[in-house]
Amino acid sequence: MSSAADADPGAAGAVLDGPVLATAEVSYAYLGRFPALDRVSLEVARGERVALLGANGCGKSTLLKVLDGLLAPDAGTFTAFGAQVTEDRLEDEQFNRGFRSRVGFIFQNSDAQVFSPTVREEIAFGPLNMALPRDLVEARVADTLAMLEIGDLADRAPYQLSGGQKKRVAIASVLVMNPEVLLFDEPTAALDPRTGQWLTELIVDLHEAGKTIVLATHDLATLDVLADRCVVFSEDHRIVAEGPPADVLGRTDLLLGVNLIHERSRVARRAPPPRT
Amino acid sequence: MTGDETGSAADMTARITSGVRASGAGCSRVAPDWLLRGEVGLCPCGCIGRRRKADFVEKTLRGGATVMRQAMFGEDLAAHDGLLQRVDARVKVVTLVGLLVAAALVRHIPVLVGIYAGTLALAVASGLSLAFFVKRVWLFVPVFTGIVVLPATLNVVTGGDIVVPLGHWWFGHDIGVTEQGLTAAGLIVSRVAVSISLVVLLTLTTPWSRLTAALRALLVPRLFIQVMAMAYRYIFELLGSVDDMYTARTSRMVAPEADTRAGRSFVSATAGALFGKAHGLSEEVHLAMVSRGYTGDVRTLESFRVGAVELLWIIGCAAAAAAVLGVDRVLGR
Amino acid sequence: MHIPDGYLSPATCGALGVAMVPAWSGAGRRVRRVVKSRYVPLLAIGAAYVFLVMMLNVPVPDGTTAHAVGAVLVAVILGPWAAVIAVSIALAIQALFFGDGGILSYGANAFNMALVMTMVGYYGVYRPLTRRVSLTAPRRAVAAALGGYVGINAAALCCGIELGIQPTLFHTAGGAPLYAPYHLSQAVPAMLLAHLTVAGGVEFALTLGVVTYLQRANLPILRINHDAVPETAADLVRPPGRPRWWYALLPMAVMALATPLGLLAHAGAFGEDDPRAGRASFLRKNHLSAVPGGLDRFANLWHHALFNGYDFSHDHHPSVGYVVSAFFGAAVVSGAIFTLFGLSRVVRRRSGPTGRGGLELTDGGRLGA
Repeated sequence: MSSAADADPGAAGAVLDGPVLATAEVSYAYLGRFPALDRVSLEVARGERVALLGANGCGKSTLLKVLDGLLAPDAGTFTAFGAQVTEDRLEDEQFNRGFRSRVGFIFQNSDAQVFSPTVREEIAFGPLNMALPRDLVEARVADTLAMLEIGDLADRAPYQLSGGQKKRVAIASVLVMNPEVLLFDEPTAALDPRTGQWLTELIVDLHEAGKTIVLATHDLATLDVLADRCVVFSEDHRIVAEGPPADVLGRTDLLLGVNLIHERSRVARRAPPPRT
Repeated sequence: MTGDETGSAADMTARITSGVRASGAGCSRVAPDWLLRGEVGLCPCGCIGRRRKADFVEKTLRGGATVMRQAMFGEDLAAHDGLLQRVDARVKVVTLVGLLVAAALVRHIPVLVGIYAGTLALAVASGLSLAFFVKRVWLFVPVFTGIVVLPATLNVVTGGDIVVPLGHWWFGHDIGVTEQGLTAAGLIVSRVAVSISLVVLLTLTTPWSRLTAALRALLVPRLFIQVMAMAYRYIFELLGSVDDMYTARTSRMVAPEADTRAGRSFVSATAGALFGKAHGLSEEVHLAMVSRGYTGDVRTLESFRVGAVELLWIIGCAAAAAAVLGVDRVLGR
Repeated sequence: MHIPDGYLSPATCGALGVAMVPAWSGAGRRVRRVVKSRYVPLLAIGAAYVFLVMMLNVPVPDGTTAHAVGAVLVAVILGPWAAVIAVSIALAIQALFFGDGGILSYGANAFNMALVMTMVGYYGVYRPLTRRVSLTAPRRAVAAALGGYVGINAAALCCGIELGIQPTLFHTAGGAPLYAPYHLSQAVPAMLLAHLTVAGGVEFALTLGVVTYLQRANLPILRINHDAVPETAADLVRPPGRPRWWYALLPMAVMALATPLGLLAHAGAFGEDDPRAGRASFLRKNHLSAVPGGLDRFANLWHHALFNGYDFSHDHHPSVGYVVSAFFGAAVVSGAIFTLFGLSRVVRRRSGPTGRGGLELTDGGRLGA
């Protein structure tokens, strides 16, 4: 890798010309027995929007967790901001803080992500862990509440929130740390249409603000809006294709093969018939 | 079974059949016959069977609903602008525990009744309806206590001077209610009522999140407080799962569960599956926490204030406790 | 078993609360060491789970329902120290939120249900019984259930003692109890009766059911606390010991040595008074003026007892007499049983391997081998 392999990813203003996140030949199996990733290599450039596509169980969520340093791969390496990320490295408080404040993960299940007694405390959780001063934390929390239009929910408890509200709170709790990279796991799954639309627009706005976005999804309808590049996973946990959305969506034989569409999907019928 | 019902059943059957056959192109699956016919015997008007006692499914569901209702109601009352709501949570916790100790040291029933009157006054001052407050305090524990200590009024349990003779028991032994027995019963029931009143005042006028944070003032370790706050949060989450499992079962049951063995087996399976979900949830929560920088330390956004209201409250409580104990002493041992 | 405020004196509450402080800090330290940063969500979920288990209504044979505690169950799943904390927190939520259990008496409730029940059930019963048992063996589930039963009764015993000592220690000058009014001799049997029967049974059934379910449907959950335990009987390095007949000698010896405890009671057993021993006291005690005819005639039926009473006609050391009688009697009865089994085995062998005579011994007749 680069000579900056030991650089501190928290170093302010570090200018990188290499990829922001990069995995090389990463493999992972749950409990040592259930394979989830098979020699996956992926590079994400700064400011890029990457969509991970694949059927359930193909490894997209697992890859996202590896990209957030939550899972240590059984084989292969993971590098972020020019520095290699390992379990040992993350034990170092400085490294951990630098990494965590620059990468944010929005989980598929908002209930797991909204665990504090009130919304306000939930949003404050991240900055407090970054050891920011109390008044700065409060200011940021107020700003984030306003930005996501959830100010009236500030003192509510999580069980009183609807699914869409919980999603907003989850996103707020990540955005308040101002990360450079945002990882979304099935962002629009289980959201009502209006909230889903709101979220799509938010992701577009965040991209325009310069954030790097990686999302795992099997919702093909919004891909052209949300992604610059699509990466397709097969059901045996390997990357089988990469490319711009238009290209990937046109390859119906590929999409059928990886169980992203079935014969009667509208996408399949819209695309030109496969050449014999 | 009316003609209408068989008609609609036939419609549904036709729809299912056509749907199944249509998707059958290229697939060899055919729905079994019984699925394609209507089902006889299940009259939806409920004319079969009498009203029955709540079985354990209903009881658990109702218990769950009670938990939710208490939570909702509690949060509403804590938002009112009454006397106790204005006092800082930490101060409230410490002073109310002090009053609890004072009540526990009292030896005379009239003093306890006086404290109870005080709690009623505080309830009114904090915007709680008296009827609700009295019902909430008395409905279970004090009444239950009264029943439990009733035998203790007899001389068989508490020896002493009989004041209400109840005749003879076997072989010439007298049986009756003793003065000491009455005192004991009266003391314990009033003590229980006063204690519960004080705790209910605290919990109804303090939002849960501030209450857990306020326990820091009682030197409860931060770890416990964070675990308790999170546990409270996840009780509702898991309650939803329990509810789903039980409702699913109810929707499949044609007759109430007569076989308690099968019932227990269901409860065990529910409890087991519940732990699986709970554990999965805890793993995910852990990842979510780590992802936002958690390393094991607990930090919270508490802000406590001690202002004029708090000082007045503290002085008031201290004076009340001193008065109570003083009067109690004066009344004798 | 949740004791409300008002039943225990502040001194008792304080003492038990103080006793819990080292238990909690020790538990916290141990859990933190084992599970590191994962312990907060794990304990929280554990506490929520215990709360919900305490809420579940378990159907009992008479048609009503009862509640279990679940402390030993959580100890088997998460480990005993994590269970101490999880149960303590569930009790705290119940006390604050429901008024189920008092605030001042929280220390006592935590002592009974979080500490005593967990430790007695886990270290006292579960661990000794599962020393060389595989993870999926039914024996493990039964051991856990038994641990729950014994644990809840130990907790009930402590609860009964705490309540029972109140009238003796705390009363007014006139003798009226200030807190719980029932004496030790009333509180302990009352608590134990309810728990040895209904509550204990419910705890047993629930623990057994859940552990069996997890063994079948979700074994990785049991792995949390049983890292090094082999999975099936086939993986065992050494098979678990079968119970041998001489395992029973120790409990029997303990019981024999405990027989003189009966001498503490100054009255005899009900319905066992002998008019021959003391006519006047017999008449007085039963408020009679004359011994009933039938009683008088048949009381003198058997003259040929070997010894005169268990204590050898009231000699100077009746305890010694009792102990000797106990050992002698146990030896005679055991000898008789062994002889009976031996005879039945001989009879069975005589009638051939497919014979229908005698008892079927499930372990191949190794009893007594």
